[in-house]
Amino acid sequence: MKTALRIAAVVAIAALVFAPLRLNGYLLNLLYTTVLYVALAYGWNIISGYAGYFSFGQIAFFGIGAYATGLLVADQHWFWMVAALAGGIVACALAVPLGYVMLRLRGPFFAMGMFGMAQMVRVLVTAIPATGSGAGLFLPPGSSLTGVYYWTLAICLGAIALTLWIDRSAFGLRLQALREDEQVAGTLGVDVTRAKITAFSLSALIPGLLGGGYALFLTYIEPDAAFSSRLDLQSIVMAILGGVGTVWGPLVGGIVMTQVSEALWARFPQIYLMLFGGLLVALLLALPRGIVPAIASRWRAR
Amino acid sequence: MIALQLAINGILLGGVLALSALGFNIIFGVMRVVNLAHGDFVVLAAVLCAYAFTQFGINPLLLLPVTIVFGFVAGALVHRFLLRRLPREIASAEASSLTLTFGLSYFLAGGGLALFGGSFVSVPFLTGAYQLGPISIPQARLLAFVAALVLSVGFAILLRSTLLGRAIRATSQHLEGALACGIDVDRVRTLGFATGTAIACAAGTLVSFLFNVNAQQGVLYTVNAFAVVVIGGLGNYTGAVLGALILGLTESFSSYLLGATLAEAAPYFLFILVLLLAPAGLLGKRAA
Repeated sequence: MKTALRIAAVVAIAALVFAPLRLNGYLLNLLYTTVLYVALAYGWNIISGYAGYFSFGQIAFFGIGAYATGLLVADQHWFWMVAALAGGIVACALAVPLGYVMLRLRGPFFAMGMFGMAQMVRVLVTAIPATGSGAGLFLPPGSSLTGVYYWTLAICLGAIALTLWIDRSAFGLRLQALREDEQVAGTLGVDVTRAKITAFSLSALIPGLLGGGYALFLTYIEPDAAFSSRLDLQSIVMAILGGVGTVWGPLVGGIVMTQVSEALWARFPQIYLMLFGGLLVALLLALPRGIVPAIASRWRAR
Repeated sequence: MIALQLAINGILLGGVLALSALGFNIIFGVMRVVNLAHGDFVVLAAVLCAYAFTQFGINPLLLLPVTIVFGFVAGALVHRFLLRRLPREIASAEASSLTLTFGLSYFLAGGGLALFGGSFVSVPFLTGAYQLGPISIPQARLLAFVAALVLSVGFAILLRSTLLGRAIRATSQHLEGALACGIDVDRVRTLGFATGTAIACAAGTLVSFLFNVNAQQGVLYTVNAFAVVVIGGLGNYTGAVLGALILGLTESFSSYLLGATLAEAAPYFLFILVLLLAPAGLLGKRAA
């Protein structure tokens, strides 16, 4: 069983690596979107799934990464991958002081506080003249979708590896302990603040790195695209539907929901939002714990 | 003189904010649910009223009973068929109710968009203003303020003196105590959610002749209600009035001093600041 799964994983990765050679523009686009969402869902899953701090504002770090990359490429003429890496590091570094402040909040207060934070960052970016204000920022052409795809795929695989490690490490146990009961975890000797901030900055690093690729993908960034609430919402929905705080939840949820969402968007653009919201509610009621835990418990029951 | 004018605008705005926050507060109180679809109910009612006004020339104030009943029924249905069905025993119960109302918010915003389109609508109703020396008081704002005041006081009286109101307050204050007194908490929750939604729709009716609205603006009103309630302290009804005044004044002064773009950030900044410095609200007691 284990070997079979490993072989399947290797085949899947190989297929993803060679996919750009075979796929046409539309399919590669869809593949890029899927990988992007899966990676975003993994990023969110660390702070919100493992540590239990439900965030509605991780898109702030995605936007910061996108804008940092945009500025470095357009004004400083950096090579875009280096710029995107720098964008991720900036997002991660900003997350440390931000996390120190925001992670004092809990439950819905943290969720809404992060939402407010993301909105504030969006407005501030709009107000800075260097970012082109509300009008946006043009990036010089020159990168291909294939390059952006590989960048995003690498981050996605890295995020999965990171999650696999977290799931088995003492760090992951500390996160789960503080999710179940922060005070008890603290009395058991877990450095709660440090664990939370580490998880938060990892959850910022991933969207930060992805943001730079997305900026290149769009070749033009403006606040509503870089801080897109649709991206934020959908990646959260995918992680929840897959299974919050599980290793494979974001992958399963991300793959399934991206296809569903693209199909809905293509067929019913006028009522897309309504259908997506309704679907979220229905799935939440049908599978409150997510797809992966539901399958896992059925598997064990056999 | 400008400061006085801005202060009056802010206070008048605070009335509607307080009414909307009252509904949000009741729902949080009885269910411990942060209703992320709150603002969408506000906006939906506002868009409905604007539609009724432009199509049939119906005075929005006459529609108040209609929107209140609509909100009450819609809220009861949402609780009965959606929120109540969420499993309670799972660890992330709070997260799943947040997610559910988040999905509901998109459902309502998307539905409103599909039905009424994305353009901003407004009700050109009472567009005049009273002049008091150099100060001008827009009639629509004054009317909305008075109506919000009357409605808030009305709902407050209902909460104080009716059996249901007492049951709602008891459930908010102490769940086990309420259960021990024989209160049917499940029913109270349905009625509490319904009441909260009805109040949201009442506030929306007043919003319809104050601002240009479109169906996608719900988030703004959810955040406003959340901010008001956070400033005043969750579950603290007096605090919410203070919170609404502070938020109204902040919005009115910041849009004048900072310009429309930066002013958008002001309510977020305010509520994050209050959350961090006084987590229980300005009037709240520190929760255990």
